[in-house]
Amino acid sequence: MPDTPEQPIVNQVARLARIHLDEQQLKSSGEKLEQILGFVSQLEQIELPKDVIPFFGAIESVNAIRDDQLQTSVPREKILDNAPESDGEFYLVPPVFKPTDS
Amino acid sequence: MEDSVLNSNSNSQSNNRQTVPFNDAKIIIGLEVHVQLDTDSKLFCGCSTRFGEAANSQTCVVCTGMPGALPVINQRALELSIRTGLSLNCRIARSTKWDRKNYFYPDLPKGYQISQFDQPICGPGHLDIQTTEASGQPRRIRIERAHLEEDAGKSIHDESNDRQSSKIDLNRTGTPLLEIVTYPDIRTAAEAKAFLSELKLILNYIDVSDCNMQQGNLRCDANVNLHIPLRGQQIATPIVEIKNLNSFRAVERSITFEAQRQFEGWQENGVTIADAPKQTRGWNDHTQMTTLQREKEDSADYRYFPDPDLIAVKIEETQIKQIRSQLVQLPAILRELLVKEYNLKPDDAAVIVSQGRGVVDYFLTVADGCENSRVANNWIGQEVLRHLNESNQTIQQYPVSHQQFTELLKLVIAGTLDQTRGKEVLNAMVEHSISSEEAIKQLGIKSVDNSELVTLCETLMDENQNVVEQIRSGNEKAIGMLIGKARKKNPNANPGLVKAMLSKMITG
Amino acid sequence: MTLSALNADVIVDQLNAGDLTATDCVQHFLDRIQTHNADLNAFISVSDTALEQAETIDKRRKAGESLGCLAGLPVAVKDGICVSGQPTTAGSKMLENFSAPYDATIVERLKSAGAIVIGKTNMDEFAMGSSTENSYFGSTTNPWATDRVPGGSSGGSAACVAGRLAPVAIGSDTGGSIRQPASFCGITGLKPTYGRVSRYGLIAFASSLDQIGPMTRTAKESALLMSVIAGFDPRDSTSSKEHVSDALTSLETPLKGIRIGVCRDHLHEGLHWEVKTKINDAISVFKQLGANIEEIELPHSNSAVAAYYIIAPCEASSNLARYDGVRYSFRAQANDLEEMYRNTRGQGFGDEVKQRIILGTYALSSGYYEAYYLKASKVRRLIKQDYDEAFQKVDLILGPTTPTPAFKLGQHTQDPLAMYLADIFTVSANLAGIPAMSVPVEPSSTGLPIGLQLQGRAFEENTLLRAAHQFQNETHWHMTSPAEPWRTQS
Ligand SMILES: [Mg+2]
Ligand SMILES: [Zn+2]
Repeated sequence: MPDTPEQPIVNQVARLARIHLDEQQLKSSGEKLEQILGFVSQLEQIELPKDVIPFFGAIESVNAIRDDQLQTSVPREKILDNAPESDGEFYLVPPVFKPTDS
Repeated sequence: MEDSVLNSNSNSQSNNRQTVPFNDAKIIIGLEVHVQLDTDSKLFCGCSTRFGEAANSQTCVVCTGMPGALPVINQRALELSIRTGLSLNCRIARSTKWDRKNYFYPDLPKGYQISQFDQPICGPGHLDIQTTEASGQPRRIRIERAHLEEDAGKSIHDESNDRQSSKIDLNRTGTPLLEIVTYPDIRTAAEAKAFLSELKLILNYIDVSDCNMQQGNLRCDANVNLHIPLRGQQIATPIVEIKNLNSFRAVERSITFEAQRQFEGWQENGVTIADAPKQTRGWNDHTQMTTLQREKEDSADYRYFPDPDLIAVKIEETQIKQIRSQLVQLPAILRELLVKEYNLKPDDAAVIVSQGRGVVDYFLTVADGCENSRVANNWIGQEVLRHLNESNQTIQQYPVSHQQFTELLKLVIAGTLDQTRGKEVLNAMVEHSISSEEAIKQLGIKSVDNSELVTLCETLMDENQNVVEQIRSGNEKAIGMLIGKARKKNPNANPGLVKAMLSKMITG
Repeated sequence: MTLSALNADVIVDQLNAGDLTATDCVQHFLDRIQTHNADLNAFISVSDTALEQAETIDKRRKAGESLGCLAGLPVAVKDGICVSGQPTTAGSKMLENFSAPYDATIVERLKSAGAIVIGKTNMDEFAMGSSTENSYFGSTTNPWATDRVPGGSSGGSAACVAGRLAPVAIGSDTGGSIRQPASFCGITGLKPTYGRVSRYGLIAFASSLDQIGPMTRTAKESALLMSVIAGFDPRDSTSSKEHVSDALTSLETPLKGIRIGVCRDHLHEGLHWEVKTKINDAISVFKQLGANIEEIELPHSNSAVAAYYIIAPCEASSNLARYDGVRYSFRAQANDLEEMYRNTRGQGFGDEVKQRIILGTYALSSGYYEAYYLKASKVRRLIKQDYDEAFQKVDLILGPTTPTPAFKLGQHTQDPLAMYLADIFTVSANLAGIPAMSVPVEPSSTGLPIGLQLQGRAFEENTLLRAAHQFQNETHWHMTSPAEPWRTQS
């Protein structure tokens, strides 16, 4: 199966985003990425005035600040209620490295 | 100015490399210090920052990154950051913003850390540190920046567990951290330690953090490499970031170890900064070595971008002025005061100042009250500090008020109490929380009048003819024996006065 | 007249007058959901406490307690908004078993006004889509033609209002997700100014673009809902302190002399001929109402979709990093942590979501940030400046909401670009942060709804609502409902 030009990049990006994709998905994802990047490349054509300031957020006011005041935390049972795995005190996750290679 | 740095690596240099002595290598050190700010609530939510509570008992939808929850910045964290910045001579930003640092880790709930990338709250500054250099001149360590960010939680890798799962506690998640970054201006392990000690002291003085290193309230990473002179040029070894330094000793030892390791590595393989990327190594307290940390190939790509959930913070000139006006005197100023105005030796001044503002104030009041700063220093530097150390108390908990202490020292200075009796009195004051007057009464100390003293001396001479003879024949030291005996007969007799009277009566 | 035919303001009046009980009202809509949801798939979940809440309201009303302005009114809420103790899935397998531990601010406000959340509506997964075909819980269908999409991502909210399974609904709009489905389903939808309605509790897609808003049959109902949900929220740093004045009181203020801008470019290229005709007809209605129609230009609007499809995925790639299998989401089997991340996210997200995360991750990664995210954010500035200039000349901007009426299910699923272009007229308002709404005009000759888009100055929702309301005084398209049982177009 020949690589699409974007496929090696998709592989790398999928790793960065922690998303497992199989061969088929990598291929179709690469094609779609290429297609979309082709579409958005029109942005390159736009000439920007020199001093244009990027607009990152849709609100440009400042200073949304709260006082350093304690608020009751959420009870642990409630917070852990949605956890895929917990022992009632902690969230549990698989070990950082495979048990076999430790 | 740094010399030009040569990045090449040719085999022909191999022989030359072996001849360079280690001492010619210059160690280049930069520090990144994470300080936990002393707020009640977390940086972006109202959960408590208290240490040591039951796991996951101090979290909410915001700090566990629940879907839809949003952050709101804590006013006090901003204030403490500005206070720190001002104390480190930093430029304070008039406008600062928030960025996301994206990476995956199970104790990082949102999959990103809210931090500050290109507009840190504190810009360039500096901190002067005392060094052991012969010149006695302080060294100036430049600070690049200090930015606010949220802490991650805690992962506990439980290997005893069969299933080998890791446990996650998010109590610490979202605690405010100020990350202080220095320029690579530090040149020795001792300087690194001195920098951290001074920084910690300042943070204590300005009430920004208790800097408890065991609790992780002050954490340090060190960037280390060497500049080695070779045939008129400087060779730079690859930069290593040493992580997990949670004591001053670890900082000192790891830098010393790393410098040696890098030097030997370079002698062996000639690898320079141009040949290898920055490496992350961890300090192992058991083996006393740094070891390479396993890294993911993409770990460096944090994809910083402005956090769209937060808006910019504008800091007004008036706010900075107000915080500046409330700043306390910093350790360096106080040391100078003690040396210049109170005539203390620099080392003595450093000891007093290192104990914190409370001890300094205690000293200043006592020294002013008894009008003798040397005596005040001797007594506070030794007796008070020893007691605080042994009892693990603060000066605020010390049972002797500065007024009572002053009264005691006045008696010592006047000669009413000698050193030994004075210390007995102090011990009684500490033990029973009583005044010097009461202690003196309790110990049965009375002043001894002149006729009593004469009678005492005559009795001593009668009972110790042979000693008197020895003294008369020129052995003046023998008088000490008589003073010892005088003390037994009348503990209130001032040994100085006894001695003077005896020598007058014996040798006339 | 059956209860389903009544508008929310009328229902509230009847409840207040004692002509109707909240229990009967809620029961009626629960029955309709029971009967018709299988056809539309507009709801992902239905509240199991709605009746109980209705009974409480009736009791309190009987006891003479003063109740909120929506007391007893059933409201459908998009499933991307947290309702405490209720499943909140955002249309994703990732959150299939997630029970929200808290109420979104707008839900809190609706509840304290006495509204009853009757159920959670279907949506494109994490609001990524324009057809509601990207839901893990299956596609929603358009009640006007069940072989067609209802639009998206708030397709469930649009379909349930059009199909009268709920009198009113709440949606969210990141690039057109309220207005486009409103247009496809023949209802009224308002995307408020960014910052006007709190986002606290809205599951983020793209934080700088997301905004919650009403989806209703009439502009008046939207005004009623806005009077409850709009306003500053200290829990949302991006929420605005700008004063909110009551939209209801200004609805009838005459439009005479109002300046309405039309961008001629938007009435040409790629526009379905019937859409063009019906929009021109609508312009005539506004002229009759005394509006001055003026031509305006929005020179950078043709770059809006491209800028949007960089900015939104970039933010999304970061916003969706929290779905990692550790604290609340779906978790896949794995031997070690890295495998858990990859499998969880590989299996828990649908294709479109994964595609956008990949695009966003790519565009933010080192070496590409300037060319994509930064460049797009600068273009975003130009788009905003275009509006600033246009609004010097006019009070409102009028045009089509979408280039075509509702397309067929499956028509664009293999072609992301064709799907993205359904947002061509709507994304600009999100990029600029201005309010915009969609109002039904005369349907196509085949009976498919068509929407008119009105855009206004920041924080001038009331002008939009007023214009829409008076347009609806002159027209009846918003009051027509699809014939039951829902038909399939031949
Ligand atoms: Mg940091
Ligand atoms: Zn919290």
